[in-house]
Amino acid sequence: MASVLKFPSFKFLNPNPISPTSASVQVGFRRFSCSAPSSAAVEGDSSIGSVSLGHLTRPDFPILHQEVNGSKLVYLDNAATSQKPTAVLKALQNYYEAYNSNVHRGIHFLSAKATDEYESARRKVAAFINASEPGEIIFTRNATEAINLVAYSWGLSNLKPEDEIVLTVAEHHSAIVPWQLVAQKTGAILKFVNLTEDEVPDVEKLKEMISRKTKLLVVHHISNVLASALPIYDIVHWAHAVGAKVLVDACQSVPHMAVDVQRLDADFLVASSHKMCGPTGIGFLYGKSDLLFAMPPFLGGGEMISDVFLDHSTFAEPPSRFEAGTPAIGEAIGLGAAIDYLSAIGMQKIHDYEVDLANYLYESLRSVPGVHVYGPAPSQTVFRAALCSFNVENIHPTDIATFLDQQHGVAIRSGHHCAQPLHRHLGVSASARASLHFYNTKEDVDAFIHALVDTINFFSSFK
Amino acid sequence: MAISSSFRLFSAKIPQSLHLPYLSLSKTLISSTSILPRFSFFRPISISFQRVPTKPSSSSSSPSLTSASLQPIEDLPPKLQEIVKLFQAVEEPKAKYQQLLFYGKNLTPLDAQYKTTENKVQGCVSQVWVRAYLDSDKNVVFEADSDSVLTKGLAALLVQGLSGRPVEEVVRVSPDFVVLLGLQQSLTPSRNNGFLNMLKLMQKKALELYIEAKRSSELTGVEDPKVGVAGTGETGLNSNVEKPVRTSNLSSKIGGIEDSVVRLSSEVSGRDSNLGGGATSETALGSRGGRIKEILERALSPIELLVEDISYQHAGHAGVRGSDGETHFNLKVVSEEFEGKSLVKRHRVVYDLLQEELQNGLHALSIVAKTPSEPTSPQNQIPSKEGTFGIRKASKEQGLASTLFCAIFETKSEEKEVHLAPYRAEWKERFIITSPGGDPLTPSILLYLLSTS
Repeated sequence: MASVLKFPSFKFLNPNPISPTSASVQVGFRRFSCSAPSSAAVEGDSSIGSVSLGHLTRPDFPILHQEVNGSKLVYLDNAATSQKPTAVLKALQNYYEAYNSNVHRGIHFLSAKATDEYESARRKVAAFINASEPGEIIFTRNATEAINLVAYSWGLSNLKPEDEIVLTVAEHHSAIVPWQLVAQKTGAILKFVNLTEDEVPDVEKLKEMISRKTKLLVVHHISNVLASALPIYDIVHWAHAVGAKVLVDACQSVPHMAVDVQRLDADFLVASSHKMCGPTGIGFLYGKSDLLFAMPPFLGGGEMISDVFLDHSTFAEPPSRFEAGTPAIGEAIGLGAAIDYLSAIGMQKIHDYEVDLANYLYESLRSVPGVHVYGPAPSQTVFRAALCSFNVENIHPTDIATFLDQQHGVAIRSGHHCAQPLHRHLGVSASARASLHFYNTKEDVDAFIHALVDTINFFSSFK
Repeated sequence: MAISSSFRLFSAKIPQSLHLPYLSLSKTLISSTSILPRFSFFRPISISFQRVPTKPSSSSSSPSLTSASLQPIEDLPPKLQEIVKLFQAVEEPKAKYQQLLFYGKNLTPLDAQYKTTENKVQGCVSQVWVRAYLDSDKNVVFEADSDSVLTKGLAALLVQGLSGRPVEEVVRVSPDFVVLLGLQQSLTPSRNNGFLNMLKLMQKKALELYIEAKRSSELTGVEDPKVGVAGTGETGLNSNVEKPVRTSNLSSKIGGIEDSVVRLSSEVSGRDSNLGGGATSETALGSRGGRIKEILERALSPIELLVEDISYQHAGHAGVRGSDGETHFNLKVVSEEFEGKSLVKRHRVVYDLLQEELQNGLHALSIVAKTPSEPTSPQNQIPSKEGTFGIRKASKEQGLASTLFCAIFETKSEEKEVHLAPYRAEWKERFIITSPGGDPLTPSILLYLLSTS
């Protein structure tokens, strides 16, 4: 069933030289093996007729090749966290084995090397999202911390009573709660945009909600439940017209497509490393230079200071100003390695593959009776990310997720996905969610659907 | 081997006791099983298949689970034992789930009015509610519901297994038994462990019901001197300690709750003395303790006198080494002699009286000195905040009959008006649990509270 192939022309896809020869893939048409996958002529569907990106990259992810509860693992919880390729694991190991040292402060060789690699990671992140300079990238623990940074640093010093902050009901808790806390302290008001009947945030209403009083918009780029995308370019345009800033939660977009902060003209943008094949414990905030320079510190400590006296201190320039204490050095370097890995594949390629997979997942799910998928239907004009939150009539999502895991080894998520207001709005207490990444394949989707049907039958037979 | 497999199938389906109808089957088996002398085939009438050695009767998922580390299955309430055995007999995972769902299906639905926040189990991804009440025999009865059928099944297991049992039994159940069911239910205590939190909520509710019931039964027995103090059948009370306590406190007009508190504390101290190891009991005091008591009684004619030897707490430090062990005491003296004297003066009086002892090895005294008209403070005050507690264990080496504990705790449920003041002010930060000789429930309560604090 599996055949081992050498495809010399595909080497560029895998920075890891070992994998092409150890790949065990199913190949439909061997005669296409000599042409690059992107030129496989089958109507933009790059996976049939050639080796799909999923099959190509799977060997790089050792964790995917295991059994759970007696079945092969089918990992479909990527919106919660992604898996890491060996390149990233190696980078982490190598850091600790070869040059672990505290950054910025030391003079010796190891410290200099660690600092170089750490700052190189910062440059990689900046290049990855097309920031105008590396200093606009602040490393944080994760996107949540990055949003809190903006809230406590920019928010507390810029928001006054009656100022308005516009969000959607579909925001992640990390994009809502810090602003609730800061609004309490400053007297600002939070306003929320509801969904349309198509279960997407009402962009028209959002536009109307922006006024002279609006000081900030906090919006997701791609929703982790609805899979919909917001027109960030337009939103930023409307916001800037009234002098408001925009904070973009790009956690679900940066890992899956090319994001250009200059083109979007976003004021702030946050993302987490662990969702983009990097290690946990590191994330970043992008902020426009002039904004960052005007912001007071968030956390105090070493590294973010200039001079320290007993009664006061002066502070460093950004990004150091917002990076107190010893950072997650190895993890930042690991994130850099992840970016290298993704860039070697090409974000456009990843995006195209995932659009394909997203449609396949959506259509397959919808064909199962009793299943309701939240969010918009994908079409030529409507983009849908490769994730589906859904509910099955009369069966609790937790039951579904439990059975899928225990009987079929399929890992999905059940709950409110850190979006309680959204679920309340949709009128449900919880939903199940299957989310994909470029190392998933159509076979994964098939296995999931098969398992889901079995699960539904099991619970239905009990009614 | 074919025989044993059919045996296995056979045993899984039939109950433990066998009846004659199965005899015919055994006859056909006999002919081909003459090689198995262990089974009493040769006397068809009294065949018993109960212990078939070839079939593992308990779930083979992990034989080590039935080791001593788990609460022994015999300690579980009987219905729960049955449930565990039933699940162990079902080997196929899918069938286990079906069994679980079956339980859930047969759970009596919970009335909507009971689906309150108070009754909701925290940490479940699905919604689970649990309700508890006491029946006429003072056994706790549970009802539960959930929107997820698997969780409902688990809730049903607990409801069926624990309902109608006395509170003490319910509170003692450890969640470990769930691994025996083979449902791969995690036992990691975490915010999200619904099953664990379900069980804890049920135990907590049972406990609250018990305390409330006890309290209301004591309140109704206010006039009867027997109730509350000797109601539990305690004898050998220190009459000079107990009666004055009751009188003086009854005379202070504070309220019904304080009375029940007093009763509880005197009940507690009654238990102490009954067991002969109590801090307040004469029999536990050594010679010095006895002398102290005598001196204070003679000089101050106290209406209340409590002398407690806490030397073991300090065993090992400089003041104790080289002495005969009686080095540190807690004293509580309520006497008219203290009238008009400042706190410092009162302490001075006591120290002066015990000069000789202090020079002969008595190292330290912790003194509470009150006049009869003063509220013997914390005993009559109801702290409204939730207490924190640590343990002080009276050790066996001190010559006490058993590990000695006495209940002091505060609970938060103001809406239920269950307040229990600390037995003594200075013990506010510690508690001791009554020994099993007293009310058997109390150690469990405290252990339970410990585990949840």
